Amino acid sequence: MKLYCLSGHPTLPCNVLKFKSTTIMLDCGLDTTSVLNFLPLPLVHSPRLSKLPGWVSKDGTINLEKELKECAGRVFVDSQPEFCLPERELLDLSTIDVILISNYHCMMALPYITEHTGFTGTVYATEPTLQIGRLLMEELVNFMERVPKAQSATCWKNKEIQRLLPGSLKDAVDVWTWKRCYSLQEVNSALSKVQLVGYSQKVELFGAVQVSPLSSGYSLGSSNWIIQSHHEKVSYVSGSSLLTTHPQPMDQSSLKNSDVLILTGLTQIPTANPDGMLGEFCSNLAMTIRAGGNVLVPCYSSGVIYDLLECLYQFIESANLGTTPFYFISPVANSSLEFSQIFAEWLCHNKQTKVYLPEPPFPHAELIQTNKLKHYPSIHGDFSSEFRQPCVVFTGHPSLRFGDVVHFMELWGKSSLNTIIFTEPDFSYLDALAPYQPLSMKCVYCPIDTRLNFHQVSKLLKEVQPLHVVCPEQYTQPPVSQSHRSDLMLELQPPPMPYRRCSVLNLPFRRRYERVYILPELANSLVPSEVKPGISVATVSAVLHSKDNKHTLQSVPKPPPAPSSKKRKRMIEEPPVVLAPKSLLSGAVPLEGFLATLQKHGITEVKVEETPDGHILHLQAQDTLIQLEEDGTHILCDNNEPLRTTLRDLVLRFLQKL
Amino acid sequence: MDRECVSALPRVCEVLAASGGSLPDDTSLEKLLDWFTELSEAGVSLLEACPCLLGFVSAVVSNDAASEPSVLSFTLKLTGLLAASEDGFKVLQDSVLDRVFDFRHWQAAGLWEDPCIRIGWIQGLRTMLQHSQALDFFVQADFTEPLLQLQTDTSLFVASAASQTLAHVLLLCQSVPSPEGRHRETIPVETDGKYSAVVAGFCDYLKKSLVPKEASQLHGSQQVLKLLAKLLTRAGPPLRDRLLLTVSDPLEELVTTNYSQLTLPLMDVILAAHSCGGGERVARLLSVMLSARNPADLVHAAAAFLRSSHPDPDNRARSAGVLLLPLDVITGLALLGADSSADQHRSSVMEQLRRKTSCVSMICISLTNVPQVTSTAPDCLPCSPAEIVSAVLSVLRLCSGDSPSSSPGCAEVLRNVTGSGRVQKCALDALSALSSSSGVKVLLVEVFTLLIQYLNSPASDPSVIQKSYQVLVKWVDVCADLSDVTEQLREDLVQVVRKRVCDVRWEVRDSTVEFLGHLAAAPASLASDKEKARNALECLPGGRCATVPLLQEALQDPEGYVRASSVSALALTLAPSWQQGAAPPQQEAEIVTRLLEILSQDTQGFSRRAVIRFFVAWISSCSSPSSCSLLTQSIPSILSRGSADLDWEVKVHTLELAELLLDRASESRRHPYAVTPDRTSTHARAVESDPVSMLNSLVDQGVFSALLSGLVDCDRPVGLKACQLLIRLRDTVCPLLLGDQDVSDALVSGSRASCELPGCGWAREVRRILGTATAPRNVHGADGLGPEDRGEEEEEEPAVRVGVCDALRRLRLDERLAVLAQSSDHVHNSPLSLLQDILTVSRTKTHLDSQLGQEVIVDCY
Repeated sequence: MKLYCLSGHPTLPCNVLKFKSTTIMLDCGLDTTSVLNFLPLPLVHSPRLSKLPGWVSKDGTINLEKELKECAGRVFVDSQPEFCLPERELLDLSTIDVILISNYHCMMALPYITEHTGFTGTVYATEPTLQIGRLLMEELVNFMERVPKAQSATCWKNKEIQRLLPGSLKDAVDVWTWKRCYSLQEVNSALSKVQLVGYSQKVELFGAVQVSPLSSGYSLGSSNWIIQSHHEKVSYVSGSSLLTTHPQPMDQSSLKNSDVLILTGLTQIPTANPDGMLGEFCSNLAMTIRAGGNVLVPCYSSGVIYDLLECLYQFIESANLGTTPFYFISPVANSSLEFSQIFAEWLCHNKQTKVYLPEPPFPHAELIQTNKLKHYPSIHGDFSSEFRQPCVVFTGHPSLRFGDVVHFMELWGKSSLNTIIFTEPDFSYLDALAPYQPLSMKCVYCPIDTRLNFHQVSKLLKEVQPLHVVCPEQYTQPPVSQSHRSDLMLELQPPPMPYRRCSVLNLPFRRRYERVYILPELANSLVPSEVKPGISVATVSAVLHSKDNKHTLQSVPKPPPAPSSKKRKRMIEEPPVVLAPKSLLSGAVPLEGFLATLQKHGITEVKVEETPDGHILHLQAQDTLIQLEEDGTHILCDNNEPLRTTLRDLVLRFLQKL
Repeated sequence: MDRECVSALPRVCEVLAASGGSLPDDTSLEKLLDWFTELSEAGVSLLEACPCLLGFVSAVVSNDAASEPSVLSFTLKLTGLLAASEDGFKVLQDSVLDRVFDFRHWQAAGLWEDPCIRIGWIQGLRTMLQHSQALDFFVQADFTEPLLQLQTDTSLFVASAASQTLAHVLLLCQSVPSPEGRHRETIPVETDGKYSAVVAGFCDYLKKSLVPKEASQLHGSQQVLKLLAKLLTRAGPPLRDRLLLTVSDPLEELVTTNYSQLTLPLMDVILAAHSCGGGERVARLLSVMLSARNPADLVHAAAAFLRSSHPDPDNRARSAGVLLLPLDVITGLALLGADSSADQHRSSVMEQLRRKTSCVSMICISLTNVPQVTSTAPDCLPCSPAEIVSAVLSVLRLCSGDSPSSSPGCAEVLRNVTGSGRVQKCALDALSALSSSSGVKVLLVEVFTLLIQYLNSPASDPSVIQKSYQVLVKWVDVCADLSDVTEQLREDLVQVVRKRVCDVRWEVRDSTVEFLGHLAAAPASLASDKEKARNALECLPGGRCATVPLLQEALQDPEGYVRASSVSALALTLAPSWQQGAAPPQQEAEIVTRLLEILSQDTQGFSRRAVIRFFVAWISSCSSPSSCSLLTQSIPSILSRGSADLDWEVKVHTLELAELLLDRASESRRHPYAVTPDRTSTHARAVESDPVSMLNSLVDQGVFSALLSGLVDCDRPVGLKACQLLIRLRDTVCPLLLGDQDVSDALVSGSRASCELPGCGWAREVRRILGTATAPRNVHGADGLGPEDRGEEEEEEPAVRVGVCDALRRLRLDERLAVLAQSSDHVHNSPLSLLQDILTVSRTKTHLDSQLGQEVIVDCY
């Protein structure tokens, strides 16, 4: 069993498991942090961005004025942003049989895997994962296509040039493999390969293994996966949460008794408690609004935003913010808000019960009804006529490189009354803000990551007790910035097996057993004999038939009907097809009892010698040796057949025959 | 004693002696005994006043088989009480005393099994043992042995009572009152043969039971140690020396056996022995306790020693070392210097700190006792208080998980304290206590920085935030000069406060608002403008102008506590401007409007109470009516809303406000013999010349109505307060009016002070008392309209006008005061009521028994 690690990102995993002749890809997360190296894509012409100076090396030898721009001491690529894909050279992607998706954040690289690679397999995901994943992909495509950039910068990727570039560009890895965003057509084609599954539904893969999604409690439809054969069980734990938010709670008990547990997607901010951060978010928001400023919340269009809106729903009355407008701007805002209300069966119990009242499960419906929350596909159109300040705007993309958020950064960045509150933990907020510097706007970092923290995960692992744990190498040491926090890492016995991008791990367990079926008529012909109370044994002669990873014992076919008489003579010369099986012996010869029996038969001079495997009895008078071992007995006596036979019979007295 | 009680008592005694089972409730006998105790403490001779008691005791004792155990127990206690006086003792000695306290008799009768008999016996003895005859009786009857046995009784109450009685006996043995009972003389224990048997018996007991033979005896040892500690602190030299001599060996054994549960009681004994000059041996035991036990016990012992404030420099230094060692280990700051005696425990302390439970408890003990450590003389301390403050700050940093410990091998320890709310709170308490230590002011900036970081942290628990605020106020209070605190830090503080008043958790908003109030009350200054005496709030950027809007916003808070706190904080913040008369009128008007809204509409009592207190504070600091015209205008609405409130505390506060107005009014009234205070306002002069106009002004302000409505209020404290104020008004004003002019003149005079009583609510009740309800003197109200013109409800009577002085005289205030001054259950709690209850219940029972011929079982839950 092997694990190929195509991504080193701990929360955007992409691993391939080869298990019992199947090749299973576990998630295909897209690392979008690469876009931080690019200039933002403004929705309306930005004089500031267009006037940024081009970059020329200090000695003037390299001139990339067209491709690279300098802003506030850092250099950015002026081109359509590009993403860092999962590794595609480590194994042939066309050999992948199935892709299992655990949540909508971990499927953003899907079109890069399924399109133009020869992939012919199936993708399994839950319905909310597919629908919301589709929204996020469509939003991404929309953000990119709305602001087309003719230019595609490639010169800076030249190895010789890149090594001379300043800052983070120099350290960026595999820049040649970075790709522009996929098209809507590719998205549709990729998603057409998705087959929907429900929690605990068992899917057979080629008869060899069974895969089954379990609720992971992180987002709508998010799942962990169990991959098992009759005798082996692998658990794949991706983004999971034990907190009570909107999704169905995590199913922990089904993870028990795993041989291997692949652990990814722990919280990215282990020191920040989501409740504390939510409180921090609310108080900073209220403080800004009271002082007459606007609040900008860069966020994804699905996920934590539901919890943020729910929290605000409770908070706005108590903080006297009832008259402040809340805007949610995204090409998929409407669909996201509405989808969340219809996936009742995927929600936590509290919200499920509301459906029967009948009430919308999420309170944002009420915010919309009362006009406190308004949503728009973009800043153009209706929004510009209804826009009122001070207000709170939720919009994407959290990287601040594309989407409507770029406009608000340009609009509000100059006033210290306004605040930008970062709630998504995926991007470093300082890097995200870099191309907007100098900035007067207040910045607050309240990353809300509800995924498991180290304390919760060690408790979980104690509970489910997997034999081996595989995890990204980042989890095996404390974070670089807090090297003294030994509590922020996994400490397990045996230690977890770490992986990084491009690792190929041999998972540490051997397949020992296979299940074999026996046909009824063959079973009928068996003659069991009881060796111990309740345990019977029989010998079987059969033909093993293997097909589709299923093994069956069938009766041995009867010899073909007698051939023509001409060949009869030859037939007689050949041995019969089936020999009557010799009876098999079982049991052990007890030394004391055997010696006593020998004595009864007049053999008294016995010298017993102990060996690593058993005993050697030296019958001195007869000059004979008897070797008693665990799985064999040898009688060595020269030319004394009667004695040998007697001794053999004595030995056989102690053994059972089948 | 009440004659009715005297006459009822014999019958009660009969009932109790005959059928003690039928009591109103199981506390009746206790109440009865309390009453007897009160009487005898008041000097009444019980046997003389209630001769039936003797008969009762003999009746019960002679018929003990038929008596209820509770009545028997009561009888034992009563006998003790009766025999507590020497005269009573003589009377009883001749009759029943021997029989009552004959425990063998109780044992033989099978009654001793009942703990209430044992406790009755013990408490009876304890009460009786007040004089030498009683002690002689005790010794002759040889009660020492049973009393010692009872020390380990299965009932904890019995064991505890036995222990107290034993201590009492021993102390009594050494100083028996002289026969005259005037002064006590000390009898040398060794030489006085009479009592030596008691002491010897006790000493034998001590030797046997002090050291536990097995774990189950630990509790017994604990009890003995407690008793011993009590005796050592209170006994005189002969007994004390004898006790010390007896326990030296067992104590030595105990000190070496590391029973953790015994550390504290053992330490108490050793400290008690040490304080009374226990000699070298005890001193050695003490030093063993403070140096040679396991670290967890050591910190307990050291803390106990420091708390005892024993002036023993060596041991204080040693204890300080022990308590500082865990802080030294965890922070890596060398608090103890190079060659400390506590250093030998370093590795075992580290071992303890690695375990989560022992780590947190050990660090907490160290932190809790830091104030005791710093109160030690500086030459006994291994480091300066400033270094200890640094260590506490360092612990707080470790708790927040932000900084690595500089101590080697502390990674596991760090994990135990990171995020521990308990350690954080203890450390903050320690920091608060340390603020007053000498030489710590240099750390003000560091303290400020850390506390602001705590206040800012999203991980901080509401209680931690509250404590951080308190510590901050404490340091500001003590340091006063905030010049060292940088502008940036003060700006940070303002920012964090702004954020926290918007917090999701109401507890945090509440403590933030409170903090602003405390800052406004804390004196502080900056070097740049030292000449101005300012408060800490003014030293922050933006000062009061920046915080008042925050507090105004908090007046709208959905949580009642926060509204209440913001009202109080506003009062503290605005106080300086009231004194200077410099508040912006627009802001003041907004605040008053909002406060009146709270007073009339808020559903929470706290906020309404706070509003009244706000106005009380304002009036108290208002120098003249002209400087606070807005306040003067609002007074009638405050008083009318406050006295119509449903919450009695709001009403009492409203009456306090009325009292303040009365004081103000009477201060400014001219009196020929009174020392008149300086007055400048023309209004005051107008009042002083004319008590009538003063009364009229009180009526106009609504003070008189508030007092009258309070008088007839259903809540007793309100009625009482109102009644006292009305009496004061009557006694100060009415005689003057009568002296100034003829009464009849006053009555007919149009200028007499009068007030209007409407026909509903409290006024109707006042009118009933005044007798004006049915025959109104003045049918027409002030507006000259009859009831039919007003179209009021049928029940409502027309308003009447009454003269203030007339009303004050006719309200029968003194009678009312007498009633109101008694507690509302005074009738139910009177001895007579108790006696009657007992009689009634017994009568009912007899009646029912005769009627039904069977026992009535009443379920009481």
